[in-house]
Amino acid sequence: MELIRKLGEVDPRWLYVLLVLVVLIPMVSPIGLPINVSAYTSNAFALLDSLKPGDTVVFDFGYYVDGAPDVEPIAVALFDHLFSKGVRIVCVSYKNHGPMIVDKLTEPHVKAGKEYGVDFVNLGFLAGGETALAAWAADIKKAYPTDWKGNNTSTMPILQGINTVADFDMFVFYTDDSAEVWVRQISQYKVPIIGGLITVTAPQAEPFLQSKQLAGLLVGLRGAAEYEKLMNKPGTASAGMDAQSMAHLMLIAFILFGNASYFIKRSKGLAGKGAAK
Amino acid sequence: MSTSIVTWVGALVTIGAFSYLFKENVMYRTIEHIYVGAAAGYVISVGYQNLLTKAWRPLVNEGHWLVIIPVLLGLMLFGPYFGSKLSWTRRYPLSLIIGVGAGITIRSAVIEQLTKQLASTALPLKTINNVLIVAGVLATLSYFFFTFKPTRTLTGVSEVGKWVIMITFGAAFGNAIMGRVSLVIGRVSFLFGEWIHLIKQ
Repeated sequence: MELIRKLGEVDPRWLYVLLVLVVLIPMVSPIGLPINVSAYTSNAFALLDSLKPGDTVVFDFGYYVDGAPDVEPIAVALFDHLFSKGVRIVCVSYKNHGPMIVDKLTEPHVKAGKEYGVDFVNLGFLAGGETALAAWAADIKKAYPTDWKGNNTSTMPILQGINTVADFDMFVFYTDDSAEVWVRQISQYKVPIIGGLITVTAPQAEPFLQSKQLAGLLVGLRGAAEYEKLMNKPGTASAGMDAQSMAHLMLIAFILFGNASYFIKRSKGLAGKGAAK
Repeated sequence: MSTSIVTWVGALVTIGAFSYLFKENVMYRTIEHIYVGAAAGYVISVGYQNLLTKAWRPLVNEGHWLVIIPVLLGLMLFGPYFGSKLSWTRRYPLSLIIGVGAGITIRSAVIEQLTKQLASTALPLKTINNVLIVAGVLATLSYFFFTFKPTRTLTGVSEVGKWVIMITFGAAFGNAIMGRVSLVIGRVSFLFGEWIHLIKQ
């Protein structure tokens, strides 16, 4: 009893050290806990896997680097998957960190032989938030006369025959924010939309999946790990899943210790309404 | 251990940021200021790039003279910085930005977030999921029903609504924790993988 009471009062700094250790140890020597693929991920994978070579997809980057560890593994997995299928990718940025992120994520694919302007393009950041999204969705070449590097978009091979967002075969967005902006501005174009969201905002997007305004949903690091499993290509996300499970177990344990400690103290009149002030 | 200067800088900045968890210190404050400065510098460079490609080149190199209108409206936003007598100049571009933004958002919000969500909630009560969705929505709405004195039935239903809201908060909080743990995993993976190569990449 005394031990549980003391665990509930442990200095939070010990918890931080413990959390780092709990995350680190399974990453150094993996436990290999099973990853169950959710229906959300398998539906999104099936949709993306149905794309054919030569199809063109939008990747809209709507996150800042501070949210990257949770959402970026999804983008890494989708780049690998779609490029391996010969799908062409047009990258745009809803937030200003986007162009830098796109350059970083496409660099290994350029080294592997993917050609800029033919297999993919980085159109860059367009200021104006939702208004800018609505503008380029209606006329992409008017909103983006040049790409991020200053090349003319009207003569670019990847954008031939593409004028509005309806001309794309699929629309994928990655965000550390809510999905509402894309639902409001893109779903009217009848192009299938897949959202890659950070775990925090994913529950808010689920009603849009049920109403079929979103065609698919990939949720955080876990969604990326499930996607990597479906691709048979374990990557950074899969490596982090053991660590995530262990960290959750630790947090659950300390939530229980904290509550148990509180009730023990309350029974002794040291906490709650009866506690001395 | 990594030999890349970029990785070393990233690692030291990460450790400095984490050091705040132990105690506020000079290293943390220095890194905080560097972060703010670097972020501001990045935003300025992106802004400059946008000005160059969306305003300067179309206006000067390609002769699209109509671009002068948004450029002037943009410059009017800076009026107040040159004295309070010029503060009126900001009103016109702001009115335009707010008006256009509200118009674009509200039109789509009514269709995509209200009408379509209402339609998708009107479900046939054939499965347990559908029953839960419909009952949950009705109970939650009844919780926010303040127009007349609550009857016993309404109080009971709104109590169910309160529980639905609390369960939703719980799920959202669980997801928030999961997301934050992912961020820790990202940094630990960087420090012990990319920097000191303890984790196999």
